[in-house]
Amino acid sequence: MNPINKHNTHIVMPFEYHQPATVRAAVEILRKHPGAKPLAGGTDLVPKMKQRLLEPKHVVNLKKIPELSVVEDRGDAVYIGAAVRLREIEKSETIRRRLPLLSSCVRSIGSVQIRNMGTLGGNVCNASPAADGALGLVALEATVHIAGPGGERQVEAKSFFEGPGLTVLGEDELVTGFTVPVPTEDTGTCFISVGRTALDISTISIAVALTMDGDRVKDAKVVLGSVAPTPIRLADAEKQLKGKTLTEKLVEDTAMKVSESIKPITDIRGTAEYRREASRGMAVEAITKAWREGRTQR
Amino acid sequence: MKIDVTINGRERSFDVPPNTLLLNLLRERLDLTGSKYGCGIGECGACTLLLDGEPVLGCMTLAVDCDGRTVETIEGLGDGDGLHPIQEAYLEEGAVQCGFCTPGFIMTTKALLEEEPNPSEAEIREYLKGNVCRCTGYVNIVAAVQSAAGKMR
Amino acid sequence: MSSKPAFKVLGRDTQRQDGVAKVTGREKFASDLSLPNMLHARVLKSPYAHAKVKRIDVSAISDPTVVTLTPDEVPDARFCPRLMSTPEATYKDWTVLTSKPRYVGETIAAVAAESEEAAQRALESLVVEYEEFTAVFDALGSMEPGVEPIHDYIELDEETLKVESNIACHLEIEEGDTEEGFRQADHVVERTYRTNRRYHTQLETKSVLVRPEPNGGVTVWSTTQTLHNTRILLHEIFGIPMGKIRVMKVPIGGSFGSSIQVNPVVPIAVALALKARRPVKLSYTREEDLHDHCSYQMIFKLKLGADREGKLTAGHLDAWLDIGAHQIQAYPLLGCVVGWWVSLYKLPAKSYVGKAVYTNKVPSCAFRGYGNPQITWAVETLMDELAEKVGVDPLDFRFMNYIGEGDLFWGQGPSVKSVIHSCGVEEILTKGAEMSDWYNRPRAETQTGRHRRGWGMGRGYHTSSAGAPVPGTVIDFGGAMLKLNEDGTFDYVSALMDHGGGTLDANAKIIAEELEIPHHKVNIVRADTGTTVYDVCTHASRGIYSGGGAALKVAAQVKQKIREQAGNLLDAYPNALKFRYDQQREQAVVYAEGIEGREITYKELAYTMRNKNLGTIAAVDSYRQPSCPPHFTGYFIEVDVDTWTGKVRPLRVIAGADIGTVINPKLAKGQIHGGLAQGWSMTVNEDTPYDPTSGDLWNRGFISDYKVPTSMDLPSLEAFTVFFADTYEPTGPFGAKGIGEGALNPVAGAVANAIQNALGVRFYELPITKDRILEALKRKEVEA
Repeated sequence: MNPINKHNTHIVMPFEYHQPATVRAAVEILRKHPGAKPLAGGTDLVPKMKQRLLEPKHVVNLKKIPELSVVEDRGDAVYIGAAVRLREIEKSETIRRRLPLLSSCVRSIGSVQIRNMGTLGGNVCNASPAADGALGLVALEATVHIAGPGGERQVEAKSFFEGPGLTVLGEDELVTGFTVPVPTEDTGTCFISVGRTALDISTISIAVALTMDGDRVKDAKVVLGSVAPTPIRLADAEKQLKGKTLTEKLVEDTAMKVSESIKPITDIRGTAEYRREASRGMAVEAITKAWREGRTQR
Repeated sequence: MKIDVTINGRERSFDVPPNTLLLNLLRERLDLTGSKYGCGIGECGACTLLLDGEPVLGCMTLAVDCDGRTVETIEGLGDGDGLHPIQEAYLEEGAVQCGFCTPGFIMTTKALLEEEPNPSEAEIREYLKGNVCRCTGYVNIVAAVQSAAGKMR
Repeated sequence: MSSKPAFKVLGRDTQRQDGVAKVTGREKFASDLSLPNMLHARVLKSPYAHAKVKRIDVSAISDPTVVTLTPDEVPDARFCPRLMSTPEATYKDWTVLTSKPRYVGETIAAVAAESEEAAQRALESLVVEYEEFTAVFDALGSMEPGVEPIHDYIELDEETLKVESNIACHLEIEEGDTEEGFRQADHVVERTYRTNRRYHTQLETKSVLVRPEPNGGVTVWSTTQTLHNTRILLHEIFGIPMGKIRVMKVPIGGSFGSSIQVNPVVPIAVALALKARRPVKLSYTREEDLHDHCSYQMIFKLKLGADREGKLTAGHLDAWLDIGAHQIQAYPLLGCVVGWWVSLYKLPAKSYVGKAVYTNKVPSCAFRGYGNPQITWAVETLMDELAEKVGVDPLDFRFMNYIGEGDLFWGQGPSVKSVIHSCGVEEILTKGAEMSDWYNRPRAETQTGRHRRGWGMGRGYHTSSAGAPVPGTVIDFGGAMLKLNEDGTFDYVSALMDHGGGTLDANAKIIAEELEIPHHKVNIVRADTGTTVYDVCTHASRGIYSGGGAALKVAAQVKQKIREQAGNLLDAYPNALKFRYDQQREQAVVYAEGIEGREITYKELAYTMRNKNLGTIAAVDSYRQPSCPPHFTGYFIEVDVDTWTGKVRPLRVIAGADIGTVINPKLAKGQIHGGLAQGWSMTVNEDTPYDPTSGDLWNRGFISDYKVPTSMDLPSLEAFTVFFADTYEPTGPFGAKGIGEGALNPVAGAVANAIQNALGVRFYELPITKDRILEALKRKEVEA
């Protein structure tokens, strides 16, 4: 059957709806009903159900669980619940001030409507290599909190993803939130992405965080989206920056390294050659902006 | 599942299967067809409505998720015979051509002006970017939002 | 400067009559309609790009209330869903359902059930056995020997034609001695161009609601640009007497040419409703709609020659049109492509070979401009290149060669010729050049650095209708009815569709102008085929020029009747009577000047006539316009190209349009705004490529991978200037011409030329995506 014959303006397959009030109860439902799907904003899950790419028999709404919706400044880190909506993150004064990189990653996702519905947990669990929110979390070395029948476990953001749509999450597990370390005062960050229009999944995106001592790079994080099966940190490029005094030449060399070390594919959003070519200029821009910002913040 | 939803100021109770989408509930049960199906995947904004005052997409919202909440659609705007200033502005500025996207745009505009009564042109364009119009090139729409902001101040 | 009469109604902004319904969400589009006891239909789409259906088994459907429809249950007559041409120019290769799908997504069967869910379950119970054939996705490849034939036989009028080399139809034309023309040229440039295949992205997906009537007829509410042709086609397919087919006027949620033809959902739903004896609604999902229609992809080999002064001497064009799996209007388009081309610039000698080629892709149909945006992009690109060779400024080069007032014009093809009587080209180009400081724009290849700016210009036109002094192969006439109501208002009844541009309001204003009343006194009636006279279709930017022409014709007849009846009642000579509008009484007054008491309002006249049993003042008539005057447009566009990301941004847009008398200023500007947006995105973004492995669209129908511009992708209000040339079209209603398509046609040329001006690189394939820009810059770097 032609797959479009399964697409519908309705969700055709019936399911049982659950609305637990605690993480524990949610996990219990997931355990009891293998294949059950957690629902947060619905911006990814619902279209997939309308297209019958997913046909869960049980849907577990996470938005009635208060603990999943908190944003908490914990001093050296900010904790963000998995069901916090993207628009709340964008509007959060705490996140804007303490995690400007994450704030700008989130602002680039979808439209106002999508961000009113979608959650950070959803953006991450969907595990798209193009997820802008995920890029920010990886660059900031966030920790992903996971609840399962055996209790809670924590995973580094960069190890959470295993491929497009694939994560380390077990069927009966749930992401509950993210601990995002607040970069030191002397850290400059930058996120940029390119799409075909202003409302598009990124063809390519980059997030950079540089901790500076004057013009010297103390620490560097360079993360790219849509160039690999998952958001990736480019260790080679980071190594090239760490401990060095930044010059325009070094920025350009590093950007070249970025371009050389990625192995993107061609898809409908852009060609592999494009991504390799664009990554160079984008890396120059992102590194330069992070550099300037890190230097002045000091 | 039994749900209670306030729709355009009126409390209503429904018994819906959980797979019912808010857009279909409005269109099929209440004949509130102002919210349109344009793409079904959140790309066009034609089904934009306000849920607890915030713009969301009816085509991706489960009706059961609206239990105890407030839904406002284009049909709830204005009072009786009078048009809302946003509706007036859309007409005066020639922001309406085929009109299929118009309800979604007007609802997004309402949310914007409630959030930011005095938006810059750039803010307007960013806020409206989730609503697709294929007729107007957005020029008269942006002008209408500016004009509506003036009327509402 | 034209000497325009002073207008009372025209040229002022008025609120559209359907405006309140549209801003309150109460307007009902076809996709919004429902009827009690209605069934929901779904259609089965071919998963193969080219195959034969060997067997359809419906026996697994367990729900006895489901109605199914298979190819052997529909009339086997071949038809063409677009009825704008005379029979000898109408190639027929469609059936209601097919047992030989020729593209992924072609409809094979249909079901109707109590709910959409039940219809879906039934659809999934259908068992279909296919025999797969090889498929071809490229127009040039499709003509190669040994390629699997897509159609064996097709029909033309009463004839059966064998299809050779997958060529659907062809057209060759030569005027003057082209070889000699090129010999006289000092400079000749020849280039090959390839356009994109765009999807209309009209906001409303194709939809229809059909109610079978007890008399054996049907009532139809559908997405359409033509009520009467829908009725004719349904009559031809199903044999239902035309009086029993009622096609109702419902507003359409955008179309841009995609409902000039009767959309395939319509006959399918009619067949289902006739079989079910219940109302049936069929409304496409977006993914289905993306598999329903698209623009024509064209490949051009274009050659132009000019002498050393810059006068064009000759041109030759080879055009290959990728029409997809079926003909919607391929043959008339072959005529238009050459027509658009030769009516842009004076070519003393020209030759043309056009071929329309079948491929295993979604059928192509008209998309705003009907091939004009495609060929104008190629011509305007080549004009820039040739100007450079000759050594004149590209703008001056256009001044030297454009076709304007007094020239013969045949945009709508070789059978539709007329002479131009109004032309604003000079004014558009002169003003545009001033406003853009054209002659001081940067020179190509002088810029360095990340961001580079460039100005480009493109000019063009579109016809207003397809009229001409003598009949050709294009059918183009309309009609209207107008009657005086007992309160002094008028009912304007017409089959003409308004796609949103304000066409019907404009025509109501034309009537109001003639009858000396305000616009709101003319009520636009939402009519149907039974209550209107024939109107061909709203296409070819003919709504105001032709539709308004018909409105004016009946308004003048009504005015004459008012004179006569008022003359009788007032004991005055009809021709001596004058008209004025009395603001206080809110009535038009007919009066004998200087004679006290000899006056009567429209309301009094209608009432008196009713009370004295004198009848209703009304007129109904058809109108064929004598010409199809071009409405000229010109764009001056400044772009910024980010050489790091390949992204192009519009910085400034200056658009000039010669549309004759401007009737609705804001809405007319709105046409330009929309044209720019579509043209912008045609140039830098839109395409529907295919995945040759699956044979399906690469985006599989998802609008998330068919990007149209958002509010953020277009120029700011301040950066976008629109002006109208001061012209008056003597054959148009109160001097008016069209605007819809001319608003789009030159945009791609202007944007492409601006990109060239910024980068020094010329592109011969659309769209000029970020990927192609970086690729070209890299190539240039390597070559340097």
